[in-house]
Amino acid sequence: MAGVELTQVHKAYGTTAVVKGISLTIASGEFISLLGPSGCGKTTTLRMIAGLETLDAGTISIGGDVVDGPSGHLPPEKRALGMVFQSYAVWPHKSVAENVAYPLLLQGRPRAEVARRVAEALDWVRLGSFAQRMPSQLSGGQLQRVAIARALVGSPRVLLLDEPLSNLDAALREELRGEIAALRARLGTTMIFVTHDQHEALALADRVAVMHQGVIEQIDTPERIYQSPSTPFVAGFVGGANRLEGRVEGRQFRCGAHTFVLPPGVAAVEGPSTLAVRAEELELGGEGPSLPLLARLFLGSATEYRFTLGDTVLRVVGPAREARPGESLTVSLRHARLYPR
Amino acid sequence: MSTRSTTVPLSPVGRGSGRGLTLTLSLALAFFFGLPLALLLFQARTAPRWTEVWFAPESLQALAGTLISSIGAALFAFTVAVPLALLIARTDLPLKNGLRAIFTLPAALPPFILGMGWVSLANPRAGLLNLLLGAGTFNIYGRLGIAFVLGTAGLPLVLLPTLAALSRIDSSLEEAARLSGASPVRALLSISLPLALPAALSGTALCFLFAASAFGVPYLLGVTASPPSPTLTTRIYGEILMGQGGLPRAVVLSLELLLLAALVLLGSRALAKRGEVRLSSGKGLSLRPMPLGRARLPLAATGVTLALVLVILPLLAVALTSVQPVWGQLTGLSAKHWSGVLSNPRTIDATLRSLGLAAAAAALVTTLGLGIASTKRRSLELLSGAPYAIPGTVLALALVIAFSRDVRFVLFDRVAFVLALGNTLWMLLVAYTVKHLAFGARNAADGLAQVDATLAEAARLSGASPRRAFFDATLPQLRAPLLAAFLVTFLTCVTELTLSVLLIPTGRDVLGTLLFELQSYADPGSAAVIACAFVLLVIALQLAQTLVTRRRQP
Ligand SMILES: Nc1ncnc2c1ncn2[C@@H]1O[C@H](COP(=O)(O)OP(=O)(O)O)[C@@H](O)[C@H]1O
Ligand SMILES: [Mg+2]
Repeated sequence: MAGVELTQVHKAYGTTAVVKGISLTIASGEFISLLGPSGCGKTTTLRMIAGLETLDAGTISIGGDVVDGPSGHLPPEKRALGMVFQSYAVWPHKSVAENVAYPLLLQGRPRAEVARRVAEALDWVRLGSFAQRMPSQLSGGQLQRVAIARALVGSPRVLLLDEPLSNLDAALREELRGEIAALRARLGTTMIFVTHDQHEALALADRVAVMHQGVIEQIDTPERIYQSPSTPFVAGFVGGANRLEGRVEGRQFRCGAHTFVLPPGVAAVEGPSTLAVRAEELELGGEGPSLPLLARLFLGSATEYRFTLGDTVLRVVGPAREARPGESLTVSLRHARLYPR
Repeated sequence: MSTRSTTVPLSPVGRGSGRGLTLTLSLALAFFFGLPLALLLFQARTAPRWTEVWFAPESLQALAGTLISSIGAALFAFTVAVPLALLIARTDLPLKNGLRAIFTLPAALPPFILGMGWVSLANPRAGLLNLLLGAGTFNIYGRLGIAFVLGTAGLPLVLLPTLAALSRIDSSLEEAARLSGASPVRALLSISLPLALPAALSGTALCFLFAASAFGVPYLLGVTASPPSPTLTTRIYGEILMGQGGLPRAVVLSLELLLLAALVLLGSRALAKRGEVRLSSGKGLSLRPMPLGRARLPLAATGVTLALVLVILPLLAVALTSVQPVWGQLTGLSAKHWSGVLSNPRTIDATLRSLGLAAAAAALVTTLGLGIASTKRRSLELLSGAPYAIPGTVLALALVIAFSRDVRFVLFDRVAFVLALGNTLWMLLVAYTVKHLAFGARNAADGLAQVDATLAEAARLSGASPRRAFFDATLPQLRAPLLAAFLVTFLTCVTELTLSVLLIPTGRDVLGTLLFELQSYADPGSAAVIACAFVLLVIALQLAQTLVTRRRQP
């Protein structure tokens, strides 16, 4: 087990900068999640930690030792890490037991120890009875469990997981997410979990790092990320807030021809601002602009109303009520966040 | 909307349209391939005691020659092609596309030409290398020389399927090994190599078959070697040349060669099936070349050196031979062979004959192959591949037996006019077509598998009949694979040697037999001119094909 530290890490493919100066300190035993939309550089960051990509600038150290930096690059096989890939990467020509034994064999462990630790690792992921199966006889969820056992069996200093659940269907994803949480509680390994799914990140991690276009926008506990997003992007990505561009004038927010009344408790600074408001923080009725209804979607526990606002769509979630597309309804703020520009 | 009454004639349900085609093609295949093979086996019944022929000292020597040269060729091809494929497909080796192109070039050349190149280089007395380094430094004659030349010629048979298998392995499999503590070499050897091994081994078995079936190179490098190194194919050829007395022995030796081929084929099938793992279909595959680091340049230099020595050097030697006034002497350059060959009526005749025969065979192979593939009957497709798996010498002997005057008379009294094939060019056309049917069927079947069926369905819904929809919507999508089938058949037939030497009508030549005769008996310089012209033709056609396919791609 070890901590990881990234300092001003840069990476470009050709002329496109993919990671633009990331700094991140992960404590030993911490479970951190890298969250962001597809293409924002999460995989690249993780692969640099793994040693599968080299850096253009910056340093990475693991357990206090510099593994990448101006002084050189330590190849992945010398970093003592474990990694779980989105595509499972279970070797199809080796049985489950042979897959899991491989890292131990490369460490030169004696036979008896290998057998014992393989059995133990397979028990962690509840695959004890599948040791002799070939990968072609396993389902996606089982393959990913094999990959997790293989990544953990050699007691890695850090476990890296790159969207390990996104190839699985919804029910399995839920189940395996719980198992990862349980394993983590049991083994206490430092984990870096890459995902584009905010639910996974918020549910699992001690801290979440939200990435956007190659930079980290915010690092915080899941609660704080959700409750006080520090940028409009984080507010929009985590919790799916509506984002409106406009001006604060007194206790009003003017957005094109429409004016919202800011509820008390919303800190406002006069001038141009971005307003981020979650669908459930808006309500129908009250004091606010009257907007034409675009569509009404029944969600089960609530109903979503979509309005046209300038050239964007405003989403409001609230109790079910009668309304027809085209009808104008009043929309008001119950809560919101303002980001001066 | 009005409801239409059901007076529109309905077609019967079920398949049935393809029946006639299937039947015709099966009968043709049975007649021109099944029957000759059956007659060959029938002849063997009346032949002298098999074991007596098989275990005669000359036969054992020929068998040993075949085994040693074929195993040697297969081992050589495997040893060179597999590391090369790993480097090309899985790493950031520089110049990998150039290396791939050079090492696959022998697939488009007759092995005989490579053999000629090595004779020019490493004939113990007169070879260029020996002229430079002292007589007797290198000797290309004998079993090992045959193995070396055939191994180079058969290298693409291992390289191409191995590359194909390797390019379907997701890089995360190797990366997982790296994270588990494996060095790059270890990751390649313990993960990528085992995954591609079934493909490499079946390619190696094909290389063995190719070498065991070869005739030109063993003749060139074996018959005049000292001591002579016969193989089964050259022995069979010798027996056939002896006429009536030798024919029964030729038949029995053919069966031995056929048996050897069948054993290797079945063995490799079983082996491939056992080690088979399903590789990615290529969808969503991510390929990241493994960095070679400091080994990059030395490895590239090794690859380039190998390519130069194995492929480019013998071709250059052929070119040099074509402009050497006296073979085996470095006495300046001269164009006398070129002007002599190009103005010789015999060469012109043979060239025209070969071009005509090859074009006709290629057209037949492409059309029949499309027919076979469009019946969608797997058994017919497999059957049409059988003639290619059979050594050419054996196929030629079977055709000689079936369609030479005597046998025909006994069996086909009434239809004699169809069957006056013996000693005519038609016999060559039949042989070329039957032998290479697999090229047409395989390319057409692969092409049909890629075809977007909805295009033909859209044509049907627009009012086209099935036939019309096939010609308007399906056939245009098959242009590339059919062109490829035509070209590969054409190029193979235009200098075909093994079938031609046994089936050519007396007193006439095709390019292959002319090349063979000039090289073996009279005039290596003139042979080199023909070989050079052919190599240039191959390279030009391949460039043209690349350009055409590249322009088509968006
Ligand atoms: N090997 C590569 N070559 C060129 N561009 C790449 C390569 N790998 C990733 N990229 C690009 O870098 C960006 C970030 O990729 P990635 O780190 O995989 O994003 P994420 O994992 O967040 O979806 C993407 O735009 C992607 O296209
Ligand atoms: Mg990714």
